[in-house]
Amino acid sequence: MASKDQKTTYENLEPAADLDQKTLNKMAWRSCFLQASFNYERMQAAGWLYSILPGLEKIHTDKDDLSTSMEHNLEFFNIHPFLVTFAMGIILSMEQKKVDIPTIRAVRVSLMGPLGGIGDALFWMTLVPITAGICSNMAIQGNAFGPILFLLIFNVVQFVLRFALMNWSYKMGSSAIDSLMGVMKPFTRAASIMGVFIVGCLTVTMGGTQIKAVIPNGTTQAYVAHTATVPNDSVKSFDVIKSNDEGVTLSGMKDSDGNYLTTTDAEGEEVSAGVTDLGNGMSEVTYMEYTETPVTIDIAKILDSICPKLIPLTIVMLLYFLFAKKNFTPMKAILLVLVLGILGAGPFGLWPSIWG
Amino acid sequence: MEYSIVQVVLVFLVTFIAAIDQFNFLESLYQPIVMGLVIGLILGDVRTGLVVGGTYQLMTIGNMPIGGAQPPNAVVGGIMACVLAISLKLDANIAVATAIPFSLLGQYGVTLIFTLMSPLMGKADQYAAEANPKGIERINYFAMALLGLVFGAVVTLFFIGGATMGQAVVDAIPTWLSDGLSAAGGMMRFVGFAILLKFMMNRDMWGFYFLGFGLALVVSTNEVLATPALLILALIGFGIAYWDFQQQTELKGAAQEFDGGEEDGI
Repeated sequence: MASKDQKTTYENLEPAADLDQKTLNKMAWRSCFLQASFNYERMQAAGWLYSILPGLEKIHTDKDDLSTSMEHNLEFFNIHPFLVTFAMGIILSMEQKKVDIPTIRAVRVSLMGPLGGIGDALFWMTLVPITAGICSNMAIQGNAFGPILFLLIFNVVQFVLRFALMNWSYKMGSSAIDSLMGVMKPFTRAASIMGVFIVGCLTVTMGGTQIKAVIPNGTTQAYVAHTATVPNDSVKSFDVIKSNDEGVTLSGMKDSDGNYLTTTDAEGEEVSAGVTDLGNGMSEVTYMEYTETPVTIDIAKILDSICPKLIPLTIVMLLYFLFAKKNFTPMKAILLVLVLGILGAGPFGLWPSIWG
Repeated sequence: MEYSIVQVVLVFLVTFIAAIDQFNFLESLYQPIVMGLVIGLILGDVRTGLVVGGTYQLMTIGNMPIGGAQPPNAVVGGIMACVLAISLKLDANIAVATAIPFSLLGQYGVTLIFTLMSPLMGKADQYAAEANPKGIERINYFAMALLGLVFGAVVTLFFIGGATMGQAVVDAIPTWLSDGLSAAGGMMRFVGFAILLKFMMNRDMWGFYFLGFGLALVVSTNEVLATPALLILALIGFGIAYWDFQQQTELKGAAQEFDGGEEDGI
C-alpha cells in the first residue's frame, strides 16, 4: 500500500471515452446508497466508491489504474446525501480526463464543504417541515393519503435533483477540465489550498469533542450581601451581629472600626452595607455575611479562552503527526481513539467522565 | 393482546427496511408518518397508526439529522410508538412519550454501529488495492444488512417483550460505556481528517489549514450563519485559492515571456 500512496498519476494517461447515459443513470441510482457503510472514520467513503464504481470501471481499463483510483476514492468523504451526484459528475469527468491524483483529491475535498449547508436548508429545513407538517395533519385526521402524498413530493424532488445534477455536473466538469489542462500544476496547487482550508474549517464545524472536567480548587471566603426589612429601633443590632476572636465581623453592617462593609456581587457591582429608612417606622438594612464558597477550575472554559476547539485541533495534529512521521495505519489510529474515548469516560466508574 | 407469527415477521421486515432507509435508498420511507400507516396496516388498526405516526412526525420535525447530527432515532421511536398505541390502547401523545426511551436506544445503536464499522474500512482498502469492485459492493451490502438486522431484532424483541423491557435495557447499559463510545465516535472523524491532510499537506500549506480553522471559529460564533457557515467559508477558501491560481499562472506567463525575450535577443 505504501508505494501506491505515493502515486500521483495514472499509468494510462489517454483520456477515456465519454461515459454513456446508461452508466450515468446507473450511478445516479447507486448514489441512493451513499451511506450504506457509513462509519465515523471515513463516513461515506465506501458508499461514495460504490456509487462511482460503474464509471471508474469503464474509465480505468488498466487494473493498476483502477486500483489506484479506488484507493484514493476511499479516503474520508462526507457530503449531503441528496446532492452527492453533483460531486460525482465533476470527479468522474476528472477521472475520465486522467487528471493527476492530487488534483482529483483536492477537488473532491473542496466539494465537501459548500453542499452540506445548501442540502440541509433545502431538505431538512424547508421541504420536510412543510410537506411533513401538512401531511401529518392529514394523517392525524385519519386520512391515509397523508403519508402517500409525503412520499410522493419528497421523492419527486429527490430524484429529479439526483439525475439532473449528475448529468449537468458531468458535462460541466468535462468542458471546464479541457480548458484547465494547460495550467494543471497551478490548478492542483490552488485546489489543494482550498482542500486544506476546508479541512481546517471542518475541524471546527464537525469537531464536537470537548473536555468538560471540573477540578475543585479549595474555597474562597467573601462577604455576601443580604437585605432585610426591620423596625427602626432594631437597626442598631445589625451593626455587628457576629464577630470572631480577632474582632473581624462575620455578620453585620460595620467592621471593627465602625465603617460600613462593602463587597462585590455576582455581576461585579460594588454593594455597600447600609440602612434605608422606609419612612413607615421600618428600615431596609443591607448587611454582610462572611461566606465560604467552593471554587472550581472549569477546564473547558480555560481551553476556550485560549482558543475554542483546541481539543479537535490537538487530536487532528496528533493523528497527522502519527500518520506522517510514525507511519501509523488507520486501524491503529482507530484503536487509539477508541481507547482514548473509553478511558476518558471513566471505565467502571473509576473516575468521572471528562467528555462534554 | 396476542399477535400471530405473520405479524411478528412483518414487523421485523418493515423495521429491517426502515433501518436501511433511514440513511439510504428513498430516505423517506422510514419517517414516522409513513411507518404509522404501515404498522397500522400490519396490526389491523390503520386509524391509530395514522394518528400516532402523524403525532410522532410533528415531534421530529425540529429533530432532523441537520449537519450530520444524530437525533433520537425516529425509526425505533416511530415504530414502537405505533406498536404501543395499538397493542396497549394508549392515547397517541402518551404512546409517543412512552416510545422515547426506545428512540434513545436506537440512537445508541446507531452510534455503536457507526463506531464498529470503522475497522471495516481496512478491509475496503484491501479490496481497493486488489481492484476488486465486487468486494466494495459486498462491504456496502453487508453493512446495510447488519444495520437492518440489528434494528429488526431489537424492535421485534420489544414488540414481543413490551414497554417495560425497553426501559430495563436502557438502564442496563453503563453510562461510562455509552459515554465513552459516543466520545470515541465523535473523534473518529479526526482520523479521516488527518489522513486527508497527510496526502494534501506540503510544508507551505499549513498556513491555509490554520486560516480555515481560524475563520471557521469566527463564522461559527454567529448563530445566523449556522447553516450557511460552510458555504461562506468555502467562498472565502475559493477566493484565496483563485487568487493563488492567478498569481501562479501570471507569474508563469511572465516568466515565459521573459524567456522568449532572451531568445529573441540571441
